[in-house]
Amino acid sequence: MEGNQKVLKLAVSVGETLLLSGGEIYRVQETVERILEAYGMEDYHVFVVSNGIFATVDEEGESRGSMVRNVPLGSVHLGRIAAVNQLSREICSHSCTVEEAYQRLQDCQKLPEPGMLAKTLAAGMGCAAFGYIFGGQFVECLLSFVLGMLLQIFLMQAGRIKMSKFMVNILGSAAVTVVSFALSALGMKFMQDKVVIGSIVLLVPGVLLTTGIRELFNGDYLSGSIHLADALMTAACIAVGVGAAVKLVQLFGGAGL
Amino acid sequence: MIDQLIASMLGTLAFVILFNAPRKEYFFSSANGALGWLAYLLFMEWGAGVVIASLGATVILTIMARILSALRRCPVTIFLVTGIFTLVPGAGIYYTAYFLLMNDLVSSTAKGIETFKVAGAIVLGIVFGFAVPQSWFNRLGRKEKHVGK
Repeated sequence: MEGNQKVLKLAVSVGETLLLSGGEIYRVQETVERILEAYGMEDYHVFVVSNGIFATVDEEGESRGSMVRNVPLGSVHLGRIAAVNQLSREICSHSCTVEEAYQRLQDCQKLPEPGMLAKTLAAGMGCAAFGYIFGGQFVECLLSFVLGMLLQIFLMQAGRIKMSKFMVNILGSAAVTVVSFALSALGMKFMQDKVVIGSIVLLVPGVLLTTGIRELFNGDYLSGSIHLADALMTAACIAVGVGAAVKLVQLFGGAGL
Repeated sequence: MIDQLIASMLGTLAFVILFNAPRKEYFFSSANGALGWLAYLLFMEWGAGVVIASLGATVILTIMARILSALRRCPVTIFLVTGIFTLVPGAGIYYTAYFLLMNDLVSSTAKGIETFKVAGAIVLGIVFGFAVPQSWFNRLGRKEKHVGK
């Protein structure tokens, strides 16, 4: 009985970590089930949606434990997915005890992230690169680089004060657009659209779109539609932000138009 | 072409870092992003149009992500979600909103529909890419394992 509860807790915690880091639903479901099986559970039921895990374990027709976890949509952490994947592989090859596995899971959760500076620089580099891909020249890349870094700083700060995701996307895309219009109004000569497109790449819901589609076609209709709705809302927010900024600049008689 | 490749690689690398991918997969993930963009450019040069080019590039990107996943023994997400950013129509979203607010409804509608078509093409591309049976890729993984031993 005690043992069952421990195994269930381990399995669900592993699933929770995966889900929180942006793992696909089928991966979470399979992982939880395999861990339960690896520790000798035979009669179990696991149900995973994009923001929750439900699991019960039975033995000889009697309930031996159940667990519900609410998992809010978190930020993507691919390294953690890979680490947890490795861990679940080892659990399935029976090379670790429940306690060891729990310890390893906590190590996975504490996996270091790149520092703020590294992330900011990476964002700048990405924006510059995307500015170039979409047809920008040196000036556009440089501006995208700066704007991308500023946007990333804004995103990190907004994350810290837990600003609503919709506001983050609207304000972020609006700010980038206003700044680029302001710069061209000040007399700088550059392709203003390339700069904005390069910078808002940071907000584009690529991960949500990809996971949502895959879930939908795996038959996880509920989770798939949650993720796709999220992606659609994000795209709409970006459009609203850009639109609001354009209108604002127009009202104040921007010269760059 | 080379400059586009390098730029798409750097662009993908940025997302690889932002999403905390494991350090040993940095190169493979960004290379996959560059491959997707290269495929897109080649399709465009061939005269395929934005939608078909996005479709083809996504299929190639997805299959490559699955090959890498088998070879590197790493979840496929790591190679897929980072690589897809070069193809996701961020520019389309911008132009649609911009023309709409500029009251240029013709351009706005055209861009909006094109954005939706590209998004649909990416959807289909991923679906086709995952239609290839997993057992083919598993064979790759096993081979790698023997070599490793």
